[in-house]
Order: sequence, then C-alpha cells, then structure tokens
Amino acid sequence: MNSMNAFIAILTYFAYTFIIVAYTVKIIKYLKLPVHLRWELYPVIHEEAYQYGGSCFEKSNWWDMARKRRNLKGILWLLRGYFTLDEYFKKNLFYWLGLYPWHIGFIFIITFHILCFMGALFMVSGISISHDSPDVIGRFFYYAILLTGVISFISGAIGGIIILINRVIDKNLKTYASPLQFFMYLFTLAVFLSGLYSWHYTDPDLQEYRQFWVGLITFNFIGVETATMVHIIFFDLFLIYLPFTRSLHYITRFFAFFLIRWEDTPNIRGGELEKKLLKQLDNKITWSGPHIMSGKPWKEQ
Amino acid sequence: MDIKDIGKDLDRLVKIDPKELIPLPHPYDDPSFEPPIRELSDEQKMRYEASLDGIVAIGIQRPKTRQEEETLIGRFLSGLEKLLSPENNWTFLQPLYHSLEYCVKCQLCNDSCPAYIASGKKEIYRPTYRPEILRRIINKYIKKRSGLVLKLTNSDIELNWQLIARLGELAYRCTLCRRCAQTCPLGVDNALISHEIRKIFSQEMGIAPKELHESGTMQQMKTGSSTGITPKAFANIIEFMEEELEEKTGKSIKIPVDREGAEILLIHNAGEFMSWPENTMAFAIIFDAAGIDWTLSSDLAGYDAVNYGVWYDDIQLARIARRHAEIAKALKVKKINVGECGHAHKAMIVIADRVLTGDLNIPRESALPILADIVLNERIKLDPSRNNFHVTLHDPCNMVRLMGIVEPQRKILKKICPQFREMEPHGVENYCCGGGSGFAIMQSMNFPDWRNAVSGRIKLKQILEVFSDIISPDIKKYVCAPCSNCKGQIRDIFNYYHVFERCNILYGGLVELIVNAMEDMKQPFIEWEWR
Ligand code: SF4
Ligand code: SF4
Repeated sequence: MNSMNAFIAILTYFAYTFIIVAYTVKIIKYLKLPVHLRWELYPVIHEEAYQYGGSCFEKSNWWDMARKRRNLKGILWLLRGYFTLDEYFKKNLFYWLGLYPWHIGFIFIITFHILCFMGALFMVSGISISHDSPDVIGRFFYYAILLTGVISFISGAIGGIIILINRVIDKNLKTYASPLQFFMYLFTLAVFLSGLYSWHYTDPDLQEYRQFWVGLITFNFIGVETATMVHIIFFDLFLIYLPFTRSLHYITRFFAFFLIRWEDTPNIRGGELEKKLLKQLDNKITWSGPHIMSGKPWKEQ
Repeated sequence: MDIKDIGKDLDRLVKIDPKELIPLPHPYDDPSFEPPIRELSDEQKMRYEASLDGIVAIGIQRPKTRQEEETLIGRFLSGLEKLLSPENNWTFLQPLYHSLEYCVKCQLCNDSCPAYIASGKKEIYRPTYRPEILRRIINKYIKKRSGLVLKLTNSDIELNWQLIARLGELAYRCTLCRRCAQTCPLGVDNALISHEIRKIFSQEMGIAPKELHESGTMQQMKTGSSTGITPKAFANIIEFMEEELEEKTGKSIKIPVDREGAEILLIHNAGEFMSWPENTMAFAIIFDAAGIDWTLSSDLAGYDAVNYGVWYDDIQLARIARRHAEIAKALKVKKINVGECGHAHKAMIVIADRVLTGDLNIPRESALPILADIVLNERIKLDPSRNNFHVTLHDPCNMVRLMGIVEPQRKILKKICPQFREMEPHGVENYCCGGGSGFAIMQSMNFPDWRNAVSGRIKLKQILEVFSDIISPDIKKYVCAPCSNCKGQIRDIFNYYHVFERCNILYGGLVELIVNAMEDMKQPFIEWEWR
C-alpha cells in the first residue's frame, strides 16, 4: 500500500509539473511568433463605436486621434464568453446543452483542486476543515470543496454524455470528429464519473482529497480508498494528456482576440513596432515562384 | 461525400445542380428559370484540372508525365514548409498557427458562409473543409506523424497531384469575406486558410488565376494598371472626362493631375475609368464644388488603387503598396485617399501598414469620411428629392467587416435618399457580394456562372428581399455599392438573372447619388439605363 501511495503522489506531482511546463512551452511558442500584418475583424472591442462595429477609419485624419485600448473591457467580454458560451447558445442549442455543463465541469474541477490545495495548507497550519469547524474559514472550505467537487463531477458527466451523443448523431459534427476526439470525450467522462462514484459511495465529505493534498504538501503520502484512488489516477493522466489536445484554447482564445482580431496598432514612424518590422523586412525569403527574387530580403523584393 | 474523397480518382467530386441551390424569392421563385451552369468543353476538361466541382477558376494544367506530377507535389510541400516558417511567412504566421491549431470543429461557423449555404450545403464549400484537408496534410507530411497517431487523428491522407490541384481550386471557392471568422468563438479564421493556400500556389508554385497575377499585379507594375491603362491612355481618359463633365454639368472642371503639394492624392480603382467613368467624374464634381485641395496621379500605377496581392501573394501586395506610397511621397501630398474600392481600402490603409516604413509610411484614409463631411455639413447644396427612387446599401466586406467603416456611407444616404432602406443583415454582419477576393474580375471558363449562381446568390436574395414589396419593374430601385469589385459582381449577377429588366433595379456607387442630388445639376446625373 505504501508504495502505491507513493506512486499516486509522484504521479500527481509529475502531472501538475508536466501540464505547467507543457502549457508554458506552448504559450511561449505562440507568443514568440513574429508580429504579423494587420488582420483585425470588426467589431473591435476597444473602438468607441464598438456597438455597431465602427472604427477610427470612419473619421478623417484618424491618425491624429487619441487611441484608447480598453483591455479590461476585452478581458471581461472574453470571460463572459467562458461562463455563458453564449455564441453556442444562440447558434446551436443542442450542442450548448452538452458543451455548457461539460465546460462547467472543467471550470469547477480546476477550482475544486485549487481549493483542495488551499484547504490542505490551512489544515497543515492547524485549521480544521469540516462542517462543524470552529473556524469560519474551515467551514467555508469544507462547503466550497464539497460543492465545487460535486458540481464538477455531476455537470461534467452529464455534459460529457450529451456532447458525446451530439458528436455521434449530428452529421456535421461527426464528419469532422476524429477517433482521438471520441477518446477524449470518453476519457473526460471517466474522470468525472469516477469522481462521482467515489463521492457517492466512499467519500461523501470529500475529506479523502483534503487528506491526500495534506500528504502531498507534507510528503507524508497517505492511502485513499480504491475509488478515490482511481479518480486521482484518471485525473492525473488527464492532466498529462491535456497538453496534447486543443485544450489550451482556453488561453489562446485570449491571444487570438488580443493579438489578431482586435490588434489594430498602427505602425508609427520611428516607433517600437516599426523597429520590429524593419528587422522582419530584412529576413531573406526563399519562396521560389518565378516572380520572386529568392534569397533576397523582403524589403528588396 | 467523405472528406478523404478529395484525393480520389473521380471525374468530379461534386456536381452543382441548380435545383439544389437555395431558392430565390419572387420573381425568381420558379427554379426552372435558373440558368444552367455551363459545362466545360471536352478539350477544356482534357487540358485543365476541373474535377473538384466541374468549375475552373485557376486553370491548373493537368500534368502530362509522372515526373510533372511529382514536381507539383514536391513544390506544394516545399511551399507548405515555407508557409510555416517565420522568415518566409512572418506576415501571417501567428494567425495561421492559431487557426491551424485551435479549431475545435464545433461547426458553428458553417451557416455564416454564403457560398456553403447557397450551394445547398455542399461539403466541399463548408468553411471547415479546406482547413481540415490542410491540417491532415501537415500532420502527415510536415509533422511526419505516422502509424496509430495518423489513424487516430484521421490524418491518413494520400497526397497526389489531383488532391493538390483540387485544393488550389477550392481556395478560390471562398471569397475571403471572413464572415465565418467573425462567428468563431475561438478566433479561428478559416478564410485565412484559403488565403494561405493561395499563397503556396502563387509564391512557391507560380500558379494563380491569370486575372489576379499575370494581367493583374504583374501588368499593374509593368504598364500601370491591371486594366491595361497606360499613363498615356490615362491622360486621354482625363481629357475625355473633362469634356464629358462640361457636357453634363455645363461647367468647366479641371481635373487636377500630378499637382505637387496637394493635400490629398485620390486614387481610384482604375476599373472605374473603364466601366463606370461617372464615378470618377462624380468625385471630381464634388471635390471641385467643395473646394477640396486634391490631385490624381498619372504615374505608373498611381492611377490604379487596386492591390490584388492582398488576395493571393504577400510579395506582390508589398510591392504594389510600396509603389503607391512612393508616388505619394514624390508628389509631396499630405495623405492618400482611396476612392470607392473596398479591397484597395483594406490593402492600402490597413494591411500594408506594416510593410510601409520610414517616409513611405504616408497617412492613408478612406474617401468616405470626407464625403460624409461634405454632405452632412452642407458644403455643397443638395436637394434629396432628386433621388426620388428607392435605395438600399450593399456593405463591401473589406470596408465594413474588415475595417469598421460602417456609418459615413449610411449617414450620407439617409441625408440624400429619402427612400433609403437597409437590407438584412447589414453593417459588419453583411453578406459578401460573392465577388470578393478577386472573383469579380475572374472570368475563367465557367467560373463566372459559379460566382453568379452560388457565391453571389445570398446577395441577390437579400436585394430581392429588401425590395420585395416594390419588386414590380414599374418602380425604380437602386443598390448603392461603394466598391468597384462589388459593383462588377452585382452587374454580373443582374445580367445573369436579368434583374434590371425584370425588377428595374439599377446599381451604382455612392458619389453618383450625391451628385444626382446636387442642386446645380441641370439634368439628372444618374441615367436610368442598363449598361
Ligand atoms: S472555426 Fe471556430 S466555429 Fe468553426 S468549427 Fe472551428 S472552432 Fe468551431
Ligand atoms: S470567408 Fe466567407 S466565403 Fe470563405 S469560408 Fe468564410 S464565410 Fe465562406
């Protein structure tokens, strides 16, 4: 049992480290791509006339106008999208019925793990986490962990089942779904269902998770019931698997809007952007179309 | 049809059956009136690759030998590698990377696409179809995935010359209107994928529609205009225009050409001089009456704002943009104003912004705000009752969805056209005319039939719908399209379906309506006849 405890703990450490490193590498790769030609698409969120999709180009001498970038507005708009998935609601309700609880399942399972970690920190510092804890914080974490955990398991499982059915019966979705995509749905379903099972049959207070996290923090790896153990292993493997999927779209969606769809920074003479562009215009190109001077830089074409 | 069929040895992947196209409203509600899409001749079929949908936009010649097939495949793959490299494709790599990596295949974008919807939802026109093929090729041939991974990702695709040729043609069944991109909640841009495929063909393989490349950008840089107008011919046109202006207005208006130090260098799409000279004349009348300090240029390419590079080739895009900027610099003007041409707006003002550096970075703007200022502040005397016909507005994608110029043209129309009505949807959610991304000028074989019947269908439907209560030919109606390419496309659709004869709907630009409403015009500027 001890070696099993150690194995799960090491797997958990590895899973978290792996996903953080892999996501970071991917994000850096994305952000390091060269600054590109403008390719914005209206409405652009920070424009004054955003409501109808208008832009500074509606005015003469637009370059003389002060430009305000309202990043907060963009962030809030994108966040609202995460929590409502409203575009899907409007355009494909059936899909939304699966997608929404599925995503809620993810959002809550992440919150659940963060809360478990924080709760464990409190436990290590001597605060008891239970429904009758003398500390408010202890009671708060008890209910917060329980609620986020249970909501995520139920919501994720329901969403996972609906979305799977959707992919199978909707011809548009099925045609483009790969076996790997079905594997991912089944995998997430296994994560949520195993969580649901362990909560319902073995750990109604979800106290084993808190203990497990205390063990992780104190390097005193404790044993958990088989059902909980299965869920933890599934979740760890899922974390390792995530970087190989398109899951980073949670983050890259921000990049796509801020760096492409709303990216309308004008090139000002002598400005920082121009400096970057001048470097890129110095790149030699090797395209071999007959009208191209292959081997010469952009600016000499 | 299975996605993989794109590589199969079939005579044709998809046949466009006019009966399957989405129905049009009255008086086109009887599908038996639908003109048939012309079949290619046997000789054309022998010569050109037409096995996608029986339509030829590019005219890729069939390889004659195995060796030629291999070369085509090799060059496509080397182009694809360059497309994914920062040195060769810094211009679009980040947006491309995002669109290749982060589509979750939810298909939410599909119903935004006018070509897909109009075709009766033919699989090959689905916005996600081209990207899917390209991703599969990249997985197998660039990322070199193999075995189980290929199978699990559905990427077990066999590259052959026919697949490549079909993909090239397919990149020209998307008007780059970016309506699908606007719908995508994740910021994925399927239009960009079409754009990038076109670039592989042009920049690496030397293959592009003749109208865009050989007689487009190449001719523009050599003779001055894709229309073939040389600087000398341009001088004659100006002379002719001044005579016409005198005849029409009774006033002697001198069109300023090559005036150094003018505030504005106005550049038109040279297609206007050939097909709609009244548009360029209307600009001259308005600017003259409002006392604008402006000039045209007679320099090579200085009188043609078009930049077809924006549709298929970044190098050509940059070359032409630089040429325009050099001309403005030499003339010492304060700014460049782009006339009624959507793609020239987008190319010159927005996209070229990051290839014009130092003193070539000359301020550039649309002519629409200046026109709005003239009209709304009554810098010229206008009598709206002269526009005594029904008017609707077509929004050119390049100006509106891609640039956010939405209101100036509306404010003008609301002021000068008492019977103005909006089509639905409009503004940034408009539908493309069907002639976007070069289609309007592409006349290859039976391609015009496709763009009239398929890519332009939703626009025709919108126009018929907005006028449905007054569709009778007894009532005059006008579609205002402030873009040369959109006008060309609307002209072609109207010809194809005899819209002027059957419904009395005319089309034209914005400035023509302004001049038509000018109080001191002795006769109506807009001649109500089909040309
Ligand atoms: S492009 Fe966007 S909307 Fe279309 S399938 Fe991909 S993720 Fe969905
Ligand atoms: S850009 Fe326009 S034509 Fe092309 S796929 Fe998207 S919606 Fe369709």
